[in-house]
Amino acid sequence: MKKYLFVIGLFFCSSFLGAQELFVVTDPASNMPAGSTNIRLTQSLFKEILEEGYNYHFMPEVSYGINKNLMFRAASFLSNRSNKLYLEGGSLFVKYRFFSSDDIHSHFRMAAYGRLSKNRADIHQEQIETMGHNSGYELGLIFTKLVHKTALSSTISLEKATDNNPSYVFPETQDNTALNYSFSWGRLMYPKTYKSYKQTNINLMFEFLGQTLSDNRKTFIDGTAAIQFIVNSQSRIDLAYRKSLFSNMLRSAPNGIYLNFEYTFFKFKK
Amino acid sequence: MKSIFFIAIVNVLLTMNASFAQVRKAEILATGLTCSMCSNAIYKQLSSITGVDSVLTDLNTNTFTVFLKPDNKYAPNIFKENIEKAGFFIGSLIVTMPASVVKENATQFIPIGKFSPGEEKELAIKIFDEGYITQKEYKKWSKTLASVETYSSKKSNIFHFKIENK
Repeated sequence: MKKYLFVIGLFFCSSFLGAQELFVVTDPASNMPAGSTNIRLTQSLFKEILEEGYNYHFMPEVSYGINKNLMFRAASFLSNRSNKLYLEGGSLFVKYRFFSSDDIHSHFRMAAYGRLSKNRADIHQEQIETMGHNSGYELGLIFTKLVHKTALSSTISLEKATDNNPSYVFPETQDNTALNYSFSWGRLMYPKTYKSYKQTNINLMFEFLGQTLSDNRKTFIDGTAAIQFIVNSQSRIDLAYRKSLFSNMLRSAPNGIYLNFEYTFFKFKK
Repeated sequence: MKSIFFIAIVNVLLTMNASFAQVRKAEILATGLTCSMCSNAIYKQLSSITGVDSVLTDLNTNTFTVFLKPDNKYAPNIFKENIEKAGFFIGSLIVTMPASVVKENATQFIPIGKFSPGEEKELAIKIFDEGYITQKEYKKWSKTLASVETYSSKKSNIFHFKIENK
């Protein structure tokens, strides 16, 4: 009950408070500037619950703004599951912003996205995750509202896992299709008043991430709390903690931390 | 067929006029953003336009003042295109340009209401077409100017304006 009150409370506060939609786990409906390139190094360290140790994932990503509404991203997945840092796979992602209603200091935007992933790691959990664990695809919709210093975003997607070729067939006993849903909240905490592009911005973020498998209805809901630093109005550092709030499915490492670095090369001067 | 040919010719002529618009200064209020990284994207985008001398920014109001080199050939649409490339929209645009260009290109620069320019060499004009004001304001103006055929035709090289510096 307390959890629900907390979520309702966040909704309530945000209606008064007013930017920050560059979330740690989910994408906002806004796109990258056309012609700009972005490099992101995502790292996660999650504690194994079925064995000793930690599961480390390293995902370098390159994104490019094709035009004002369309962006593209390529990611590669490395992890230490085989006891050394091993290239397990990669993914291609496109996002299309199809609706924008902007006003002074606010916007509401909607986007559709798709991801296609290949992965050759072993399949070791019921959770479906095409970002670094499963081969497969994901199709989704994003809704993002920005009001003054607060951003709210929600995502709904369908994710389907396939075989992790060449060595690992998706287990017949497991459900290979899932519905994902998320709600994210972000707020600019500092500065109160901008003085220059050099000023470091600090954002506080909470994300709730859920998945329900389509047939057996097994579900998990995670909460993520993050602090984000925007440096020089061009790079970004995320530090986040993710914890399972509810789960009745097998997951090998649900709790852990993220440490991400991101740098944007804005369109070069002609 | 003839009419299509005629429209094509008129469009070409209008585009030619637009290419000699010579905007000296543009004051842009951008919408849809509140963060410095978003503002920086617009700043870099505007700075990348050939012929831009400098860009001044007010991060708190998301206002960008763009100074252009003389004898450029830009019309107001250059700013709309570039703000939208950065992922945002224009909430207000005031351009400063030679009064002679506004007066001599009456089919391209159409005044809203009474237009009686004095002897000023330059005019600061606020553009009221779609994409140059907020979406809410545009809804209001499209009702007010419903009978103005050039306004509802939404041609990208025709600008409806009011003088700001009178």
